[in-house]
Amino acid sequence: MKIELTVNGVARILEVEPEERLLDVLRERLHLTGTKEGCGEGECGACTVIMDGKTVNSCMVLAAQADGHAVTTIEGLGNRGSLHPVQKAFLEEGAVQCGFCTPGMVLSAKALLDRSPHPGKEQIAVAMSGNLCRCTGYDKILRAVERAAGEVKE
Amino acid sequence: MYYVRPETVAEVLEAGEKPGMLYLAGGTDLILKLRRQEVQARGLVDLQAVAELRRIRVEGDRLEIGAMVSFADLLNNDQVATEARALWLACRSMGAPQIRNQATLGGNLANCSPAADSLPALLVLQAQVRLLSHSGETLVPLAELLERTPLWPSGTLLAGFRLPLTGGASGFAKLGRRQALAIARLSAAVALREENGRASGVRLAFGAAGKRAFLSADLAEKLNGLVLDGGFTEVACREARKVISRALGERASAPYKREAVAGVVREALASVEFMKSGEGA
Amino acid sequence: MNGTVGGTVGGTVGGRVLREDAWGKVLGQAAFPADVRREGQIYAVAVRSPHAHARIRGLKLDEARKAEGVVAVLTSADVPHNGHGVLYRDQPVLVQDHVRMAGDPVVLVGAETLAEARTAAGLVEVDYEVLPGLFDPEEAMKEGVPALHPEIHGSTNIVYHLPVCKGNVAKGWAEAEVTVERDYQTQMLDHAFLQPEAVLAYVDERGHLVVEVATQYAHYDRGEIAHALGLKFNQVRVKTVSVGGAFGGREDISLQIMAALMAWRTLRPVKMENTREESFHSHSKRHPMRMHYKTGATRAGKLTVLEARIVGDAGAYASWSPNILRKAAIHATGPYEIPNVRVDAYAVLTNNPYTGAMRGFGAAQPVLAYESQMDLLARELGLSPMELRLRNICRVGSETATGQVLTGSVGMEECLKAVKSYLGEVSAR
Repeated sequence: MKIELTVNGVARILEVEPEERLLDVLRERLHLTGTKEGCGEGECGACTVIMDGKTVNSCMVLAAQADGHAVTTIEGLGNRGSLHPVQKAFLEEGAVQCGFCTPGMVLSAKALLDRSPHPGKEQIAVAMSGNLCRCTGYDKILRAVERAAGEVKE
Repeated sequence: MYYVRPETVAEVLEAGEKPGMLYLAGGTDLILKLRRQEVQARGLVDLQAVAELRRIRVEGDRLEIGAMVSFADLLNNDQVATEARALWLACRSMGAPQIRNQATLGGNLANCSPAADSLPALLVLQAQVRLLSHSGETLVPLAELLERTPLWPSGTLLAGFRLPLTGGASGFAKLGRRQALAIARLSAAVALREENGRASGVRLAFGAAGKRAFLSADLAEKLNGLVLDGGFTEVACREARKVISRALGERASAPYKREAVAGVVREALASVEFMKSGEGA
Repeated sequence: MNGTVGGTVGGTVGGRVLREDAWGKVLGQAAFPADVRREGQIYAVAVRSPHAHARIRGLKLDEARKAEGVVAVLTSADVPHNGHGVLYRDQPVLVQDHVRMAGDPVVLVGAETLAEARTAAGLVEVDYEVLPGLFDPEEAMKEGVPALHPEIHGSTNIVYHLPVCKGNVAKGWAEAEVTVERDYQTQMLDHAFLQPEAVLAYVDERGHLVVEVATQYAHYDRGEIAHALGLKFNQVRVKTVSVGGAFGGREDISLQIMAALMAWRTLRPVKMENTREESFHSHSKRHPMRMHYKTGATRAGKLTVLEARIVGDAGAYASWSPNILRKAAIHATGPYEIPNVRVDAYAVLTNNPYTGAMRGFGAAQPVLAYESQMDLLARELGLSPMELRLRNICRVGSETATGQVLTGSVGMEECLKAVKSYLGEVSAR
């Protein structure tokens, strides 16, 4: 079947199978491999992308369901010359270890700050609660989100 | 497998009539079941484009919630937060933000997991379920619906939920292995009113304590009319143990849940707005 | 949006430095093995045993071979040297006849797409004769119980035994006025690193085998791949790409040899990616340990003697078990000075998932036992847990159970005093 969606601001027309997941289409067809598969069942959040402003687990969304919607992946945020504030904060806070959870974490944080630019600690913790990290213990990740929100001054 | 996305209820019912077609709500359960081949489908009828299934609105003395309303939508709705507190608390405890953005209230009932978070809350809020088919619309109390297997004949569309706005208070608590993303090990919802210092209209429902969520008529009877003081919570906890004991019988989890239910009920009662200020302490 | 990010602040020591690899990770550019691809790659899927202990009576591969898109179906007969392992090569690349744990790979299917490989893998029929399993290490170490690896580990399932003896235990018991004797048990754990195992293997333009993998141990991987395939070291190149968490769980071979074998046989680039479920089946676990502890002390709160028996469940293959049970034995006394000690640590093969390295490497499990013993002793003696510890901790000059005299950097006392104020009034419970 044919689907039309916007990925990182670019309109795409793709031929997909109805059972194909958004995750597979992003990784295998568009080669946007920044979106990771950690569990395949919505537990870990490594495959988080933003769809119409809301985070979803792309392992639980059919590509067909994304037809007509706008998807943002980690590749759509910043680049080395111009980092998104969340990416910059993750770098500066040392919130990155193995990095497998990082794209999902960054996108969950971005979606939070887009709708709520000055979140409290509790709000941050809730927003990040669907993303598992096995390395860090979360502290630096939460601090990075606070930093990105301008709560933490140098 | 093929996929259609109709825009009207009439089109949905027509598409759903064909053999092997399944309705697709948010998909957080169905997509996994399809991948694991626990469910077979020839095609999917995606309900996302049917605008009327996505609405939350007050109509007179009742709250109408469309089946395709997501958990995140419910959490962001002031009416739900105040008038259907138990449901709001249940939504808050369900999954993670990603899942709440996608999963729908209708999907939660259609999937009907023993641990479905919304069902105990909907039960104590006296939800009625709107079912649509070619023969028209029927309204079935959720408590009654949950006694049917299957819940409804194939081709039936779960259109939404009707909650009476009674002005009563309600609460919800859930025991999971961790705070976020945890499937309920046990959940309890409660609704009640205070009349001259005594409890009335008490309803208590449990999740993850048997095949499906259920209302406990026994418990309601024991608690109605009791003075709302510290002793009320103690009686509720004690009686809840008996209910859970009976519901679980010899199951491996029974000894644990029999103890744990007291804490869950205590928490559910404490989450009720007027119980917070000390009456329940 | 400000794109500039500060570099090193302050001097080299004590300065803040940015992690260099974090750049690629926040941008989503860091390549984990599932993210790399090569023109013409095929996919391989392992058919794994659902049984913990079985004999393979036969394989039916015709349906799988005929299936759409299938390039090759490989079995143990295709593996020149069918064994790998960090200490002993007791783990087969593909099981020939003896399945020793659930998840043991039996057949490897390669196909043009992942979906075709999975479908074909589903068509493989393995005729298993299911055998009674050994799941209890205490049972498995008894005499007369069938040995799981007679060729490599001999007629016993005890793959390692380390006694640690110090002083005179009889004298220690004679001096002891208070005794605490208990059994402790820890559970099996999975590392659950976030990135499931994945490999890309291919034969390069020089005819060398290249294996791109997230590993903790690239040189070892190269040796095991070369050995299994009968190649020279210099014919195999292992390239470590980004590693999505490991915690010890990527020290053994998981998919490396299978992917390499498929690439070498088909001369096609081969991709293997575990699902989370396959991942649980294909790497080591933390050793569950059963620990019997008997500790004696004087009324004055001085430890006089410790006897301990520690049995670690090695699972189906040895992996690092000897080293891990050695470490458990060495750490069995904890940070306490005990003049008379007898510890016996065993690693025992069973049909449970194999166990290996995981954070702490055998030092973590005995903590439960020796610290619980201290708390129980404190209660017996009417001392606070803190006080009993202060009377027995290692200091500079102390001798450990293995005879090592600690000459410096012994921070226990300082540490205990530093945490004391945070503990509040913890009295004997």
